[in-house]
Amino acid sequence: MICERIREQIPECLAGRLDHAARERLVAHLETCPACRAELAELNAVWRGMGSLPELEPDPAMRSRFLEVLEAYQAGRASGSAGQVGDPGCGPFRLPHMPHRWWQAGLALALLMVGVFLGRYVAEPRGAGPEVAQLRGQVESLRQLVTLSLLQEQSPSSRLRGVTYSYQLAQPDAQVEQALLYAVNHDSNVNVRLSAVDALEKYAANPRIRGALANAVPVQDSPLVQIALIDLLVQLNDKEAAPALRKLAQDAQADNQVRQHAAWAIQRMEVSQ
Amino acid sequence: MEDEQVMLDVRAGDVEKLELLFDRHHRALFRYFLHLTSNRAVSEDLVQEVFFRILKYRHTYQPGTRFCAWMFQVGRNVHMDHAVRHKPEVAMPERGWDVRSPGAPPDLQAQSRQEAALLRRALAAMPPEKREVLIMSRFLDLKYEEIASVLKCETGAVKVRVYRALRELSDRFFALCGERAS
Repeated sequence: MICERIREQIPECLAGRLDHAARERLVAHLETCPACRAELAELNAVWRGMGSLPELEPDPAMRSRFLEVLEAYQAGRASGSAGQVGDPGCGPFRLPHMPHRWWQAGLALALLMVGVFLGRYVAEPRGAGPEVAQLRGQVESLRQLVTLSLLQEQSPSSRLRGVTYSYQLAQPDAQVEQALLYAVNHDSNVNVRLSAVDALEKYAANPRIRGALANAVPVQDSPLVQIALIDLLVQLNDKEAAPALRKLAQDAQADNQVRQHAAWAIQRMEVSQ
Repeated sequence: MEDEQVMLDVRAGDVEKLELLFDRHHRALFRYFLHLTSNRAVSEDLVQEVFFRILKYRHTYQPGTRFCAWMFQVGRNVHMDHAVRHKPEVAMPERGWDVRSPGAPPDLQAQSRQEAALLRRALAAMPPEKREVLIMSRFLDLKYEEIASVLKCETGAVKVRVYRALRELSDRFFALCGERAS
């Protein structure tokens, strides 16, 4: 029993975290117990070996990716306060991060050039209507292309940028809508799914999208995403989702918080009737 | 400025300050995920996820909570979500990890490299919950009180878990050394 208690203190002792009195007791015990001395020697070898393992540094590009997300989030909050679609990551037009892919860099450059030309045409007082409309169409289709490309990237942070980028589209786009729905239902990354739920708010006037969002709730494996979906359905006051939510609220297999949230959502919908 | 005060500012809406917390802690989080997943790219993405969740759910940070403990709780959840979607978790050492012994003679360096490789194999083969407690204690240098806060258990339980995990790692490591020798 004494040996067991003493041995449990060995990692603390090796880490230099044992207080003076406890260390004295441990040393006194070791002087009389060869088995515990052997235990200390063995664990010390492994502990030191762990300390000798090198520590890899993360890629410095990680920081710039984080700053991009932070910047997009702040831009989204700023534009959200001006009455646009809000949290998270929606923002005014800006070029997305384009990692090492020449075609993406080309797209960004093309987008920039179109933007410059558009600025010049828009500055014209009158008489440039068809050209401006044409250029706006080009910008819109490039935005769509960039959004779809990013949503298909391997890295979750790139797909997250794709979702953020979808906010830049002036008009709802069927392909982007499908890509965002696909992300909600199938993306391996919870944050991408959460952001896609937020982004689909823009498309929620379409009953088919509202139906798809309601259908997504019970099949999600992440309680966070389920709660985000329920919040959106409440915000949209989608009464057609009530049966599915009622079923979820009574599903013993579902997460407890999700069930409570579903019950709350039904109450909210009933009150607002 | 203390982490906790910075996080309270972030919570209050000064989200720019999250950059400061990222600079202070992203390396530790990266190491935590790297030891859990043995995959550099995945670890970097998981770090991004942690800070994204901190940003999005900043209002859930409670004043008086140690920021590190809260951040690693978020990190644990992020890793668990990842592990659920990527079963079975493959935790094999990545190539290119080498021991730091540049001044040692070549034969000793080779021996150290072999031992480090075996130790990594032994660590990777540990059950995830035991590996995690060792990572927190040895590589992240967290105090037992902080680990208890992350794991939501008593400090005494952490003491026992760290010892048992180290004991098991030792058994696995020396068993691998024995296999190599025979």
